[in-house]
Amino acid sequence: MKKIKEKYNWPATILLIFGLITVLFPLYMAIVIAFKQPTEMTNSIAGILSLPQKWSLANFREAMEVTDFWRSLLNSVLITGITMALSIVIHSLLGYALGRNMQKKKGYRMAYYYVVSGMFVPFAILMMPLVKQTAEMHLDNLFGVILLYTVFYMPMNVLLYSGYLKNIPIALEEAARVDGASTWTTYWKVIFPIMGPMHATVAVLTALGTWNDVMTPLVIMSGSGVNTLPLAQMTFQTQFGTNYNLAFASYLLALLPMLVFYLFAQKKIINGVVNGAVK
Amino acid sequence: MASITLEHIWKRYPNGYEAVKDFNLDIEDKEFIIFVGPSGCGKSTTLRMVAGLEDISEGTLKIDGRVVNDEEPKDRDIAMVFQNYALYPHMKVYDNMAFGLRLRKVDEAKIKEAVNEVAEVLQLGKMLKRKPAELSGGQRQRVAMGRAMVRNPKVFLMDEPLSNLDAKLRVEMRAEIARLHERIGATIIYVTHDQTEAMTLGTRIVVMKDGIVQQVDTPQHLYNYPDNLFVASFIGSPQMNFFDAVVEKEDGRVRLNVSGDRFLLPERKGAELIEKNYVGKEVTVGIRPEDIYESEEGDGRDEYAFSSRINVYELLGAEVLLHFDYAGKSMTARVEPTTAARMGSTVRFAMDPEKIHVFDRESEAAVVH
Repeated sequence: MKKIKEKYNWPATILLIFGLITVLFPLYMAIVIAFKQPTEMTNSIAGILSLPQKWSLANFREAMEVTDFWRSLLNSVLITGITMALSIVIHSLLGYALGRNMQKKKGYRMAYYYVVSGMFVPFAILMMPLVKQTAEMHLDNLFGVILLYTVFYMPMNVLLYSGYLKNIPIALEEAARVDGASTWTTYWKVIFPIMGPMHATVAVLTALGTWNDVMTPLVIMSGSGVNTLPLAQMTFQTQFGTNYNLAFASYLLALLPMLVFYLFAQKKIINGVVNGAVK
Repeated sequence: MASITLEHIWKRYPNGYEAVKDFNLDIEDKEFIIFVGPSGCGKSTTLRMVAGLEDISEGTLKIDGRVVNDEEPKDRDIAMVFQNYALYPHMKVYDNMAFGLRLRKVDEAKIKEAVNEVAEVLQLGKMLKRKPAELSGGQRQRVAMGRAMVRNPKVFLMDEPLSNLDAKLRVEMRAEIARLHERIGATIIYVTHDQTEAMTLGTRIVVMKDGIVQQVDTPQHLYNYPDNLFVASFIGSPQMNFFDAVVEKEDGRVRLNVSGDRFLLPERKGAELIEKNYVGKEVTVGIRPEDIYESEEGDGRDEYAFSSRINVYELLGAEVLLHFDYAGKSMTARVEPTTAARMGSTVRFAMDPEKIHVFDRESEAAVVH
């Protein structure tokens, strides 16, 4: 058999290599710095790029102590997890109701545009009024933050869900209706499971956003003593300087749960796309 | 099992479009009714109104004598097979078939019994644990049928269930559906645009066009006695040949003058034309391809003969289709494969006078058959 010569798309390959470097280089820096002692930090290029003299987990141990790691982690997990779950349930329901009806009914169409237009409102504009309102309504706590996130992520998630709905043939719902299912049952037994790939996308986007967010918990929960991981990490930046070694160790610690979650969800997305293939 | 009555059913959309106009039909128990017509003729809309998936704008729909206009599909005791099967992609075949029964809170043991029984009939036994995506088109089609069958409904509604299958599979499934009807004896309403399916499956056929019922009849009667030009052209493949003629009366006999050729009509047909005052009028004449023969001079068919040059010769194995032009219209004759006629040769044809159909030019209604 004739050997087929593999063709390389050189421009694309080079572009991808550059892209890879821009990701890998900072990551390398973060890892190296996280293991170094403050005394090893220099301003020379060679010094910055060099490996630590001793691989020790001391930085991580100290960072965990300073940030009250386990408690902050728990708060972050709670906020992210609950927001994610609420988003999947509430936003998919809303996306379904709006997406299926907006072609025919004007009211639903207006509601859809109203919800989605929320994407264009920057948080900075809402920040101060929200701080006041949440304080007055005694929502300046974890619950308030979760509530706000659920609202903030609604526009994008509703857009995603109602868009995905167009791929689901209406005949499926009609079949369920003839089979004897109510709208509610049809949604939970037929539509919700089929939207699996979109649940994964929404979960990843919402989780990444809430996990990494500093601003919302900072302004809403300030002074309550409740920290999320990004909030706790701000203790490394003091008026007198920044302890980069501890900070980066802490960043890496915060990165790990997200990385695990993303790897898991990514597999789900790919599975979902393949399984969803019907006719 | 059940009878269905549609009385003066109308479907109007908010934009004023009338998809179904004054539909009347009595469907008896165990009938296999076919709705057939070109796309957009309202056949699917009518079916969906019977299913309860579309509102009925006007008129009364009764199942077993009970008015069901405002009842939900689930309360009408019907099952539907969709064109694209509409199988739940995330459920295994077994769960797809069990879904309707589970919603009705049927005992799980009974569900298992029902599903297994139907699966055996449809030869789906080995596929119960697979998901729809792992099945071929024909298997999916059978699952869709099975899902309808396990519920043992009064009425089966089928919306072009075979149109997504390839030709060979379609013929197989067609036979299978016919057997199924024989076996379970259910009332079936079946929508198709394929007149072959309509002819082979139906006990009665409803031909529709532009939302209006053109004719309701048995397949044989529909084929032999079409009520109008549309039904005549829609039923039958290749379709009926049409050409223009003038009705003439001479020595008490009636002839059809087709641009100089004057065909003698049988006495009964002639008398009917005289009675209906068609002498001297222009009419449309219809004749089916199998009612045109090759003829020789002096074979006693001189009164019905004409000649033409063959444009296309099509050998189909058991028969040959000859395409030719006559009286400014392109026509087809279905003849024996032993024919000597080939492309370009001139052939003398004769029509079977008993099989000539005459239609009114204006109203397109049949005048005599």
